Amino acid sequence: MRDVIVYIEHSGEKPRRVSLELASKAKEFAAALGGKAHAVVLGAGADAIAEILKAYPLDTIHVASDPDVDAFLVDPQVDYLEAVAKIAGPALVLVPNTMLGRDVGSRLAARLGAGLTSDITDLSIEGGSVGCVSPKLGGLTITTCRFKADYGVAAIRPNTFKAQQQPGSAQIVTLEKPAGKSYAMRVEDAVVEAAGELGVEEASIVVSGGRGVGGPEPFKTILKDLADALGGAVGASRAAVDAGWVSHGHQVGQTGKTISPQLYIAVGISGAIQHKVGMRTSGTIVAINKDGTVPIGDFADLVVVGDLFQIVPELTKAIRANAVAHT
Amino acid sequence: MKIVVTVKLVPDTNADKRIDPGTKRLVRTGVETVLNPFDEYAIEAALQLKEKTGDSTVTVVAMAPEAGKEVVRKALAMGADDAVMLSDSGCEGSDVYGTAYALAAAIKKNGFDLVICGTQSTDATTGEAPGALAEFLGVPGLTYVRKFEVDGTNLKAERETDDGFLRVTAQLPLLVSVTKSINEPRYPSLKGIMGAKKKTIAMLTLADLALDRPIGTDGAKTELVALAEPPVRGKGRVVQASDGADGARIIVEFLREKKLV
Repeated sequence: MRDVIVYIEHSGEKPRRVSLELASKAKEFAAALGGKAHAVVLGAGADAIAEILKAYPLDTIHVASDPDVDAFLVDPQVDYLEAVAKIAGPALVLVPNTMLGRDVGSRLAARLGAGLTSDITDLSIEGGSVGCVSPKLGGLTITTCRFKADYGVAAIRPNTFKAQQQPGSAQIVTLEKPAGKSYAMRVEDAVVEAAGELGVEEASIVVSGGRGVGGPEPFKTILKDLADALGGAVGASRAAVDAGWVSHGHQVGQTGKTISPQLYIAVGISGAIQHKVGMRTSGTIVAINKDGTVPIGDFADLVVVGDLFQIVPELTKAIRANAVAHT
Repeated sequence: MKIVVTVKLVPDTNADKRIDPGTKRLVRTGVETVLNPFDEYAIEAALQLKEKTGDSTVTVVAMAPEAGKEVVRKALAMGADDAVMLSDSGCEGSDVYGTAYALAAAIKKNGFDLVICGTQSTDATTGEAPGALAEFLGVPGLTYVRKFEVDGTNLKAERETDDGFLRVTAQLPLLVSVTKSINEPRYPSLKGIMGAKKKTIAMLTLADLALDRPIGTDGAKTELVALAEPPVRGKGRVVQASDGADGARIIVEFLREKKLV
């Protein structure tokens, strides 16, 4: 493989941060492979997003503002990506390790006969060969895989790379609509239930609540306030989700999401293995718990023993005061 | 309606697992093999659909060594009608590509109207098998479904997104993957467990599928080149807070030290 193709996931108004993280690295990888860096932007708003991408080191930005991309789920995007992959020739395709990224990536890989790796936390190129690093078995072991095919699709975990602008000389190219395709999964409408909330997968700071928070209320009040003050997202342990205090989308752990934020604050969470595997690759872990002997103490960087209902609101106040002092 | 549910056998989620540093394989001693917990939601969704539509069958399809037969039987005890197991040493070392390709062939052999998958497995956690499987089956893959209903050949579903859900319509034949929000999987009843003993688990080998390409290690499109132990996280500081403000002060100081605020 020589070229690198980045699939840009976006909201119609702006690219997801993880897309910019991938766009920032594509050229470096392409240079190591001896090829070019491409980005592919599809659907409503694609033209404006392509303009944003010009601030990143890319060679070609392929654009299709085709209404079918928004009217039908997944499949049109796979067809466009397949077309770009065929134009580029053997390539490394980078997709975000998100719901949509994995969907598009897995289907594309099956179609191209490509190698497929997911939940990648580091990627390196040596002697023309791409090494994908990914924790498996809930972080019990760290695997490195190489591709054995012409094409490789890698789903990269958000926060793996830094988004960094570096004005390049990217050319914007309009993609032709793939011929002879018909689509069956029609999107009737989109319902937003959590407007403006940052998902735990992408947030660089996560404040999670567990059994110790005792009910649904703190997820909407003290935990949310702290997360907001830090510019982060609210997470939860399985115990809290199973109790119905917060929706499954917030769950961190083996049957939830596996994340690597810079800072993870575990509130009233004991840190059973089930939870640990979902967050142990976090940069820094702080736990607030009434019991100093809970399992999370074995791997947290700091455990503060005390009443979470007193500490969390005070912490929110202190963080806010700190933010004001620095602006 | 022919409903097919794919299941994977995985090491027990609650067991404290470890890797043997010599062989670099999972130490299986004392770790039970179970149905992938995510797949139980797919089985439950299939059973509820069958209960609603009447004239339907639920077939469970798995790629697993023959030793896993009794684990697959749990799906039958929950209420699935029969099972197909692809058991062949040639499957060993399959990656997502090979697994999806072989499963698609096994499913096509008996036909299907609707394939239901769990969202991901608890061991590999790629979440990529449903998409690849749908491609090889030649049908749309409607993933992350939290609610769906079937009327004739029309399917209406709610697909989860990061900030809500999409209402999606599609037609059978189709693959859907379901999330944990869709239902509460039933426990097998005593009657179900007894009845499952008489249900058929059809055993297939790769020869039965006459695939046009190798799977297993030979057909894999990826290759595992290294296994490493995760960086050890040492025990950190444990500090008693005298009150809320003191706890906040300790944390802010620590975050400042780490340059996180």
